[in-house]
Amino acid sequence: MTDRPGVGDSDLRQIRDLDIDDVLAYLHRDLKRLPSYTELYRRYLRQRWDVYELDFSQDVLDWRERMTREERDAFVGISAGFHHGERQVEVELPVFMLGGSEESKIYMSSQIEDEARHTVFFDRFYREVVGMPGDTVQEVLDASFEHVSETFVGPFGLLAYQADELRRDPEDPAARVRYGTTYFLWIEGVLALTVMKITLTYCRERGFLPGYYTGFTATCRDEARHVQFGMRFLRDSVREDPRLLLQIHETLRTILAINGATSHRLALESLGWTPEEVQRLMIRQLDMKLTDVGIALAPDLREQVSRIEPELAGG
Amino acid sequence: MRWFTDEWAQAVRASVNTGPSAAERERKLPSYWNWIERARSGHTATWALGVRETGTYVLLAWKDGTCTAAEITSDPGAADYVLVAGEAAWRELLEGADPGRMVMYRRLRLERGDVLGFFRVIYFFVESLAALAKVPTKP
Repeated sequence: MTDRPGVGDSDLRQIRDLDIDDVLAYLHRDLKRLPSYTELYRRYLRQRWDVYELDFSQDVLDWRERMTREERDAFVGISAGFHHGERQVEVELPVFMLGGSEESKIYMSSQIEDEARHTVFFDRFYREVVGMPGDTVQEVLDASFEHVSETFVGPFGLLAYQADELRRDPEDPAARVRYGTTYFLWIEGVLALTVMKITLTYCRERGFLPGYYTGFTATCRDEARHVQFGMRFLRDSVREDPRLLLQIHETLRTILAINGATSHRLALESLGWTPEEVQRLMIRQLDMKLTDVGIALAPDLREQVSRIEPELAGG
Repeated sequence: MRWFTDEWAQAVRASVNTGPSAAERERKLPSYWNWIERARSGHTATWALGVRETGTYVLLAWKDGTCTAAEITSDPGAADYVLVAGEAAWRELLEGADPGRMVMYRRLRLERGDVLGFFRVIYFFVESLAALAKVPTKP
């Protein structure tokens, strides 16, 4: 894996040539120094892309003529979580924006726009490529929900209820840290990046779905800003009040406790991944975030992390 | 049977204790049901599930994974978890809407109770909603 220059400055056409590993390396490189919120906002202004510029015409041919049924089923299963997930964070983020510094609020406005754009990306993909029916965004979401696994239902539901909790007092530091742990650390830092790695590696190695590859790689670069913001938020929160580390731990205990409950198995092998590889990938994603920002885990949590279930998606 | 009547509450209690049918269990992985059994077995708490417009609740008292009492009340009292949904959401649930999606979309709001504690048994709660929704009823 090389840390190529150019990830941060590529336009949408150039992004198609990037390797997902380079984007992930770009994300983790800056976790060690954590850019300021203003710097992240300026990056957003440079990196914003137009979701309506994506061309899915080759994706339609790949989907219909080159991918097997098993590949299509696995792909829909694993990406359906984020079809709903992008919508979920788009609607649950505004309450988090109500608290924090002015710089945080300005940055957060950009992340909300990112998530809305990502929702449109998945809407276009499911509508134009997968062929799911619906005249509205909601109708397409309705059509894809049956493919969403508990791996996503649990954390996204938790985020929704934590958003409600935060709504009662958007400045409550403990509620903000619990919300931030679910959203920035687990959903963005582990689930999203794992789904990106699996689906984008499949697309690149097979030469399939160039529109999806371009849009989701651009999404991954957006996620780099999101994760960097979130890790800075968690690190600074714990530095200001070390007792908040317990809120991170308690939230992770819940997330890891529900991680193993999956009602349907998905043939990840058809996308070139074994369950063991997915498990290692998820643990690695979590470890890298925690290590880089200096968040230590209690021994029982370390043990829970080692038992992370690889059943990333069912359907 | 009308919903939110004593007769319905007792039928709900029976249904959540019986759990899924063999055919329903077959549709999901054994490991999923094992997770639910683990979450359920130690669960002792009271849930109050209410209708926003009427202020009526069905109170389900759980002890070590068994629903020991069910009643209709206008006062959730000391329930550990108080969840409220509008009539439209209840109607959708009872007409077959996916209970997991009802949770993910926060169609039932947790008005009282620890969020993290509630989510540690979330799929047990989801499957209990599914069992509740199986009771034949009308508004």
